[in-house]
Amino acid sequence: MSGVGKYVLTAIVIALVAHFTFIFATPRVLMNVALERLSGGQYNAWHLGERVTAAARTIVRPSPDFAYSACSYDLNNGPLRLRAAPWDAYWSLSLYADNSDNYYVIDDREAHDGADIVLIRRGGEHPRDVARVVESPSQRGIALIRRLAPTPDAYAAAAQVSRGDVCAPFVPAPR
Amino acid sequence: MLRRALAWMATILAGALLGLGSGWLTLEAGRASFGEQIGAWSYNRAAGSDAAGPYTRAIIAREGLLALSAREARYYTLWKDDQGEPLRESCVYELAGRAIAARWWSVTLYADDSFLARNDDHAASIDASRVTIGADGAWRARVAPVRGDAAYWLSSRAARRDFSLTLRVYNPRDDFEATPDALPTLTRISCAGGDV
Repeated sequence: MSGVGKYVLTAIVIALVAHFTFIFATPRVLMNVALERLSGGQYNAWHLGERVTAAARTIVRPSPDFAYSACSYDLNNGPLRLRAAPWDAYWSLSLYADNSDNYYVIDDREAHDGADIVLIRRGGEHPRDVARVVESPSQRGIALIRRLAPTPDAYAAAAQVSRGDVCAPFVPAPR
Repeated sequence: MLRRALAWMATILAGALLGLGSGWLTLEAGRASFGEQIGAWSYNRAAGSDAAGPYTRAIIAREGLLALSAREARYYTLWKDDQGEPLRESCVYELAGRAIAARWWSVTLYADDSFLARNDDHAASIDASRVTIGADGAWRARVAPVRGDAAYWLSSRAARRDFSLTLRVYNPRDDFEATPDALPTLTRISCAGGDV
């Protein structure tokens, strides 16, 4: 190989590696930032976001019409139980993998009485006697509850309802 | 020896810059390919769509991290008025629309930094639950730095130049069709101080 050729070839290889690293890393880096911001340092627990006001600067283009509850989850220690208490207007529970994929969503049209699921790792053993089991493609991810609450009073009511939400280790019922 | 070391350093730097730059440009181009113009509104199919591969996933993460799927919600953004001009705090606009075939909708005003405008007007958003449709089948809201006599108001105070409006349509019905006639229209009424 000529003197210049080896430099060109090396630059092309490095460019390809940098290109694909950038593409694959972008969603994971952005999700990691979101995971840390939303967890507040505590995984597997719901965090009710403050009502979105002009002072909110965490995530761009926030909607001031919703009460958001987020649980940054980690399945390292086993399955989790996720419960979203029912709300009398639109609500939804969405699950996002650590690569940003929105792999599951359920809303009040399908779950009038709230959602109650057990979250396990993909391919893991399904617990018995559980009505709804969802497999997470990644060990870590984000669960997000949106409750329509466009006024301060509605937000206060949604905050009250959110106390019935659960994001905690799953404890099987005794046999 | 030193010359060779410098040549290798330049090679590595050039390769890295080329790779990162091409990655960034690919995502920029990809973002445009997901875009769709419906009248004056921009719709980006990337937000909340299913990732089909690493490129799509990266575009989605940049454009709509933690967005809802299109089955749950659609997001439309307006950057310009009916004259094709950027939206400005110094102008007064009328936003008018009809009933939208969805369970719920809202329009929110964002300043040029994509956050809510830094004012204490508590008028960043209007939504289906707070807007009454008139006898002519339409609703109207004022977009301006002051409310005046408007029944519905989106405050643009401190939104500066290049602010935007985002329409969110939740649980769109099967017959919902995003056409220029179905989405609200923004008309510029006047601008202060000859700012046209």
